[in-house]
Amino acid sequence: MGDLEKAILISFDESGTVDSVLKSQAVAFCQQIKENPSICSICIEKLFFCKLVQVQFWCLQCLHEVLRVRYSSMSQEEKSFIRKSVFSMACFEGVNDENSVRVLEAPAFIKNKLAQVLVTLIYFEYPLIWTSVFLDFLPSLNRGAVVIDMFCRVLNALDEELISLDYPRSPEEVAVAARVKDAMRQQCIAQVVRAWYDIVSMYRNSDPELCATVLESMRRYISWIDIGLIVNDVFIRLLFELMLVDGSADQVRGAAASCVLAVVSKRMEPQPKLTLLRSLQMIRIFGLVTGDDESELVSKVAALLTGYATEVLECSKRLNTADSKGVSMDLLNEVLPSVFYVMQNCEVDITFSIVQFLSGYVSTMKSLSPLRDAQLLHVGQILEVIRTQIRFDPVYRDNLDVLDKIGREEEDRMVEFRKDLFVLLRNVGRVASDVTLIFIRNSLVSAVASSADRNAEEVEAALSLFYALGESLSDEVMRTGSGLLRELVPMLLSTRFPCHSNRLVALVYLETIARYMKFVQENNQYIPMVLGAFLDERGIHHQNVNVSRRASYLFMRVVKLLKAKLVPFIETILQSLQDAVAQFTSTHSASKELSGSEDGSHIFEAIGILIGMEDVPLGKQSDYLSSLLTPLCQQVEVLLVNAKVQKPEESPAKIANIQQIIMVINALSKGFSERLVTACRPAIGLMFKQTLDVLLQILIVFPKIEPLRCKVTSFIHRMVDTLGASVFPYLPKALGQLLAESEPKELVGFLVLINQLICKFNTAVHDIVEELYPVLASRIFNILPRDAFPSGPGSNTEEIRELQELQRTLYTFLHVITTHDLSSVFLSPKSRGYLDPMMQLLLFTSCNHKDILIRKACVQIFIRLIKDWSTRPYGEEKVPGFQSFVIEAFATNCCLYSVLDKSFELRDANTLILFGEIVLAQKVMYEKFGNDFLIHFVSKGFPTAHCPQDMAEQYCQKLQGNDVKALKSFYQALIESLRQQQNGTLVYR
Amino acid sequence: MALPNQQTVEYPSFKLVIVGDGGTGKTTFVKRHLTGEFEKKYEPTIGVEVHPLDFSTNCGKIRFYCWDTAGQEKFGGLRDGYYIHGQCAIIMFDVTARLTYKNVPTWHRDLCRVCENIPIVLCGNKVDVKNRQVKAKQVTFHRKKNLQYYEISAKSNYNFEKPFLYLARKLAGDANLHFVEAIALAPPEVHIDIAAQQLHEQELVAAASQPLPDDDDDAFE
Repeated sequence: MGDLEKAILISFDESGTVDSVLKSQAVAFCQQIKENPSICSICIEKLFFCKLVQVQFWCLQCLHEVLRVRYSSMSQEEKSFIRKSVFSMACFEGVNDENSVRVLEAPAFIKNKLAQVLVTLIYFEYPLIWTSVFLDFLPSLNRGAVVIDMFCRVLNALDEELISLDYPRSPEEVAVAARVKDAMRQQCIAQVVRAWYDIVSMYRNSDPELCATVLESMRRYISWIDIGLIVNDVFIRLLFELMLVDGSADQVRGAAASCVLAVVSKRMEPQPKLTLLRSLQMIRIFGLVTGDDESELVSKVAALLTGYATEVLECSKRLNTADSKGVSMDLLNEVLPSVFYVMQNCEVDITFSIVQFLSGYVSTMKSLSPLRDAQLLHVGQILEVIRTQIRFDPVYRDNLDVLDKIGREEEDRMVEFRKDLFVLLRNVGRVASDVTLIFIRNSLVSAVASSADRNAEEVEAALSLFYALGESLSDEVMRTGSGLLRELVPMLLSTRFPCHSNRLVALVYLETIARYMKFVQENNQYIPMVLGAFLDERGIHHQNVNVSRRASYLFMRVVKLLKAKLVPFIETILQSLQDAVAQFTSTHSASKELSGSEDGSHIFEAIGILIGMEDVPLGKQSDYLSSLLTPLCQQVEVLLVNAKVQKPEESPAKIANIQQIIMVINALSKGFSERLVTACRPAIGLMFKQTLDVLLQILIVFPKIEPLRCKVTSFIHRMVDTLGASVFPYLPKALGQLLAESEPKELVGFLVLINQLICKFNTAVHDIVEELYPVLASRIFNILPRDAFPSGPGSNTEEIRELQELQRTLYTFLHVITTHDLSSVFLSPKSRGYLDPMMQLLLFTSCNHKDILIRKACVQIFIRLIKDWSTRPYGEEKVPGFQSFVIEAFATNCCLYSVLDKSFELRDANTLILFGEIVLAQKVMYEKFGNDFLIHFVSKGFPTAHCPQDMAEQYCQKLQGNDVKALKSFYQALIESLRQQQNGTLVYR
Repeated sequence: MALPNQQTVEYPSFKLVIVGDGGTGKTTFVKRHLTGEFEKKYEPTIGVEVHPLDFSTNCGKIRFYCWDTAGQEKFGGLRDGYYIHGQCAIIMFDVTARLTYKNVPTWHRDLCRVCENIPIVLCGNKVDVKNRQVKAKQVTFHRKKNLQYYEISAKSNYNFEKPFLYLARKLAGDANLHFVEAIALAPPEVHIDIAAQQLHEQELVAAASQPLPDDDDDAFE
């Protein structure tokens, strides 16, 4: 064995047993030899004499690489030598030497590699230099299967490496592909087709595998060769014979079907296409998909039928003469039963394309009203297909019920699978709503009556159809219950399904009721039935916790919608929910552990909505509320007292417990409006204030527990909304505790709370904000970086994300302050020291932040501050230095340089809005600072951007005019022309 | 198995080739499996890493020798030479980088040139990242070529075992094969819902000037 062979073997060895030094030497050796001027002949020689597949592969890979990189610098002799050698290998022209090796006897991957090399030569040389490559190949096909197989590999490689549109190609490759195809069409494709025909005819019985290979190769070429070469009596007869003759190998039959699919999919004008489709007499092969077969052949034929049906449909859409419409409709009606059959009876992987086709078919029905009998029949069949397809297999019943790993997998798969089918269902519902509703009704009826071994799946499927259809029904249809809906919803509510204990059935049942709630809203006689479904063992009291949890949520939605209509039922509802509520209100509830997963807040929210209504008399209302709040608050108090004497390791459970209580109180309070608790019934307000008192204690006992802080904060949010201004007395203490030692993440939450206060109460919270601002500013400016966050690898850490979040919230905070007439808080004696860092941060951000919306917010802050602070009541500046900062720094950097930067993408909608704000800022500066601004901007700013004098003058005119729109479009034109002028030579910033 | 001399074990083992553009997360993906992490052989100069990953199934143990072709996408190394005798494959792309999906057909072609008719899984990685460029709907390549497609997140372990399970089933010819033990995975670096969480938080801030956000006011889904 030579050194190169050894080196190649070592390079390929990944067993871990080769010494790493030796290995790197071997790799280096192989790499180095590629630089040898005669590397091509070295490789070719090895290919003729070495049997080791690694060596053969390496040599072919090397040839391929060298050809691609060095072709243009090779000598004529070398090219000719490679051409001849490679061709002789591919044609099996072995040297008559016993020792010589034939590449065609090597494994498939070596032959494919050889084909790749040959195609590389074709790329460079066909048709100009190596004109006869294909014609030379044809005579060698007589040598038998080995050469025929190789010829197919070459054609396949040519398709994949150069012609097929499935791969990304460079413009150069596209041009070469066009050249090769044109030359082949002109020179040799007829002969190639003839060769395909002869080979298939000759080998159809003796070597089916070879036949399939040839047909597979041919399939790739049908899309771009003269279709007449295939569509003629001779070849089409052969293809159909291959498909139809019983006893021929499935792979040949399938390959023939794929060829016919390529024929029907060929892009053509509709009229000749229709003639072609008709001439195929596809009815001949419908019989191939009867029977309950799952073979490869069935799926190939199914694909062919679907492709054929799709093309027929396309023709019928594009042709307008009555005659051709008639022909295409006949063909369609002829093929549809087979398509439905395939969909329902065969396990095929082309469901997706069948659904696509059916959707296309249904959409053509939109223009036909009323539908004809044939179409109504098809609609029924499509619905049947959908129902069959979306039905779960009973073998998974237990898995799905307990939702184990297999069950979850099956459910995920089905959810994904159903998506397209439900789109189809809704399309059908739009063109034939009555047929669809009748179908659903019948499905429900027969599902209920079906035998126990499959009723759960039948019911689930029928309900799912009803549920999915609801998504496309309009409010109007829902409310009035038009058509059959008026019958179907009551039927849904009154039917008792034998399999209601099944998780999936129970879930889809409740979801469906919730979806059709608008009908019940108008037909109140059904309310008791709805309540029954949600409150008994079909809903919140279902044995499966997943169902009861979802039922709680859906019940809350239902309550929200029906609200006042439920007043007469409040007592009943509360009684039914007593046990669920007791899990939270009773101190010694055994089920507390379990409730950890179910936060219960939906039930409490529902109750809150019910008892918070004004229709409930005050006495009742306060009874209801106190019966809930009192035990909950007591529990918190007990927990807090215990916490003071407790070992720390006991705390996590207590903390979780407290969290949960806050959440349910929170949810409960949502039902009480500010008007009710402050204006009409202050007694109720008092109860919430007392609750707030208790919950604020938590911050004192557990000052540093983040989840508790977070929950208390959210409760304060709620109370701000519910109690309105009467919450003020509580704020100083609460805010002080929340702010103490808060982390960046908690600061974000804190700022959001302050933002809410400002937005709700405006200047009424001036004193609070004035007090807080310096504390917040000192804290935040200390932890935020002064300029941009680091980017690149490693910068995507949780800490940095938290800081970015804090930064974003800070800008919102500053924006909220300025837009609510509170900018004076920046000027208070305690805040004064933070004015400079704040202005610098705003300036930097307005010019550089990568989030355009944040930049816009900063520019808006500037605009507001300019308006607020530019007054000179006694001839002296309100904020000394502010005007010159704005004129010298903000105007030039933000309004000019940042906009000139190429990264300022004027075609982006958000950026364009930012641009509008920047123009507005200039207008405001001119209004407030007059010529101080204008002169500086035009005489200092514009010259650095090389702005011509005449444009500068125009700018002044526009700025002084009254038309902001005109100013904006002029400024945009100015910026674009300045950018062009610079042509990237001057880098701003 | 993979090549002569490959360290052998007594249970069935298969050569699995992982390909895809650079930076799509192939290495991170194989390294989630802890047996692989500890036993991996590292060949820095040549640039292929072979990780033996073991899985316990109801039919016994199996091993995948994962040939992670990291860093060798364009230059040097043996490139498609590593695919020789591959018995199954994973093609990886990054759902946050459109180009990596565009190149999938090319990877598939290069793979099939060397390994005809092997089971292949297409994996869209990094689904934990919030601004996806390739939406699940846009992924259609697997339909044309009859591949299995999974969305995964190597960082959060999301769907980690799915590709292996699919390949194991195909190789064993048993559609009901399943893994019996939890796979030892490195702890997730991110949780899959962090993205949603962040989005939620962002919306919260944006809604600062609104009354309290009501978390369930969306229409019936």
